[in-house]
Amino acid sequence: MTSQTGIAPPGTRDQLAPGDRIKPLAPQRALERRGRSIGWALLAPAMILLLLMTVGPAIFLIYSSLHNIQMFGGASGFVGLRNFQELLTDATFLHSLLVTLAFVVIAVGIELIVGLALALALAPKTRANGVAATLLLLPFAVTPVVSAMVFKQLLDPNYGWVNYYLSKVGLLPGQMDWLANPSTAWIALVALDIWQWTPFVALIILAGRQTLPQEVFEAASVDGSRPWQTFRYITLPMLAPFLAIAVVLRSIQAFKTFDSFQVLTGGGPGDSTEIINLGIYRTALQSFQVGAASAVGLVFLLILSALVPLLLRVVGRNAEPEKG
Amino acid sequence: MNDHMISRRRFLSYAGAAGAVAGTAAISGCTLGVPGDTHITESGRPSGLRALYATVEANAAAVQSVLPAFREAFGFDLTLDTQPYNALQQKVFSELATRSPYYDIIIVDTPWAPTLTRVLEPMSKYLRDPKLNQLADPAINDFVPKAFYDAGVFKIDDPTAHYPEPEAAPNIDQITAKGFEVLGLPIQTNVLMMGYRKDIFDNPNEQAAFRQQHGRPLAVPDTLDDLVTVGRFFTRPEQRLYGTTLMGGVGDWSTCDFKSYLAAFGGDGHLLSDDLHMAFDSPAGVQALQFMRDLVDKYNIVPPGSESASWDDTASMFDGGLTVMSSNYHTFELSDTVRGGQIAYAVVPKGSSQGPHFGSYMLSINKYSRFKEWAYQAITWITGAQQQMTMVQKELHPTRTSVYEKASADSGLTEKYGNFYSALGKSLNVGVGRPRLTNYTEVSHDIAVQVNNAVAGRISPQTALTAAVTDVRDTLRKADYTVPST
Repeated sequence: MTSQTGIAPPGTRDQLAPGDRIKPLAPQRALERRGRSIGWALLAPAMILLLLMTVGPAIFLIYSSLHNIQMFGGASGFVGLRNFQELLTDATFLHSLLVTLAFVVIAVGIELIVGLALALALAPKTRANGVAATLLLLPFAVTPVVSAMVFKQLLDPNYGWVNYYLSKVGLLPGQMDWLANPSTAWIALVALDIWQWTPFVALIILAGRQTLPQEVFEAASVDGSRPWQTFRYITLPMLAPFLAIAVVLRSIQAFKTFDSFQVLTGGGPGDSTEIINLGIYRTALQSFQVGAASAVGLVFLLILSALVPLLLRVVGRNAEPEKG
Repeated sequence: MNDHMISRRRFLSYAGAAGAVAGTAAISGCTLGVPGDTHITESGRPSGLRALYATVEANAAAVQSVLPAFREAFGFDLTLDTQPYNALQQKVFSELATRSPYYDIIIVDTPWAPTLTRVLEPMSKYLRDPKLNQLADPAINDFVPKAFYDAGVFKIDDPTAHYPEPEAAPNIDQITAKGFEVLGLPIQTNVLMMGYRKDIFDNPNEQAAFRQQHGRPLAVPDTLDDLVTVGRFFTRPEQRLYGTTLMGGVGDWSTCDFKSYLAAFGGDGHLLSDDLHMAFDSPAGVQALQFMRDLVDKYNIVPPGSESASWDDTASMFDGGLTVMSSNYHTFELSDTVRGGQIAYAVVPKGSSQGPHFGSYMLSINKYSRFKEWAYQAITWITGAQQQMTMVQKELHPTRTSVYEKASADSGLTEKYGNFYSALGKSLNVGVGRPRLTNYTEVSHDIAVQVNNAVAGRISPQTALTAAVTDVRDTLRKADYTVPST
């Protein structure tokens, strides 16, 4: 047992079996050092892969953003900050950035509210809720591009179910082309995102709700707390860590949205739904202007990197009540 | 304990080695490509060739149908790897960017070619070498001149330039004398054509009603005026029937639709001239956009959804029996719900002029292939008249004049595909290609956005064109083009 002190769990090191000798301190330190070395060595393959697959590309991204890269002949050259200068003075990019931010705020905000409501409704452990929670997973399990194609069919002004049923109940006067008008196109895109991703938010919050100690709610009930008071002063603060996780994860996902916009609107009508990722796709993967696309990607990455801690601070400020 | 330590060391060394191998494999897979397993056999021939091809857009099924004959002719296999369009572009570009020799033959779509002129093998020396033209006669003078020059004839160091005599019969000496090179041979050409419901046009009741209304026989529209008249006649929303379609959504389709109308009103259907003047910003451009808007708002002969429609959407409208006519790249196929429907084709209606949009796929030699001469011979064989005539049975859109002539006169093909090949050949002869730009996709997007704004009536045609000029100039400048100030 003592020969494996380097990797023994804490606390086991001091438990001596009958007949064990207490070893001198120096060899023990040497063993600890060796243990640490082995730990690093065990980590090495994963770290090397991580460096190759994430840090390496990130460095290449920075390098590319500072160069005019010619992938098919011609002279590539260092252009300094020119790609960034062009980007930050480009009205199209700034418009796309605003469109992307608006989409994330609106979609994630609604998903959080609806997801919270769903999670609270499904929190009691009944058979019906178990079935409902399983069904809730279905939209989440559908590939985003498939969801977008299905939505496009549903919204078809000539054959789609949405127009058909809305006109049947008198909510729609005629054949509406949802994707031809900026406001209705936005409704369609946000609706698709909500349908697809609210279950994800709901499941995170549901998991969190089910871990909350029942005693607190029982005590509140005994003290005469009304449902709204229980929700406002007990449930919501205690769910804050889970809400923070949901907001951060969903925001990152929403910033990465591509498929639904590409399939449903392609950035239209006009450029009203032109999110940044559509532009990056065209620049990087259709025109292969790697330098310009890298600059967009890098600026986007920096914005995201700044937003995530901010979101965590805002949403998760009550996440650790003991520090509150 | 020692044994234990040794085995741990071994484990670590194995893990390290495995990590290194995995890392190397990951890097080589991502950036260097995987070397092919083809090699030169004792007979001096390669053990096989590999080609990268488009799944649907260039009709892979047609090429696959001649592969058994290829093996008989060459004594080895040609392996065809196919990809859908978007994935194909990325695959083609990454193969060539990484200088991978894996594919010997690579399919190239017209808008990609200006970017790739330095990584495709020039063919003029092969075309002049009699030794390499024994298995198949390249007969480049038999290619439809427009398709041949537009798809594959470039100035390597000035890829924006179009060949100055696009109607002349191709001749390799004249091509090289003008400073151009042949970078590939066209295999499939797609052109905007009008499909129409032959059964409805032939219906005696419809003919009588039209004659009564207009005092002349009902005929397939030849002009834009006719298109409006006939379109109005057939537009009956209460019967869920409309005259024609319009591709007004944001995408390459609306740019293509606009450039075809631009040419029909007498403008330069290339959109931009070779010296990068904004040819689309012209009175013809305004007329074209106004006409597109009028189809939606004044003549009302297109179905709801046209303002956001794409190639696929308009094809679905026609295939589903919603419209009597439609202009598209696609070959139409009526759905099962349209009983007794028959389709025929025509050249898209003209205005004061004519110039339906077209584009071609060519087969090119990968500059990094180890079997360039064999790749050349394979390309000349596949694009040869005899093979193309076989492939039209599978609906290949051929690129040779002789094949169009034979296909149009072939009763079996006429029975199977109606007048498709006759109309395709006629359309191709009057077609107009794209501008040659390394960032065409972005330029096309800039124009499509403003076309969509104009079609939806959010801005006037002239405002749309002015905005498109600003955006296109900016996009070109970012790609290091020198754009004329006026």
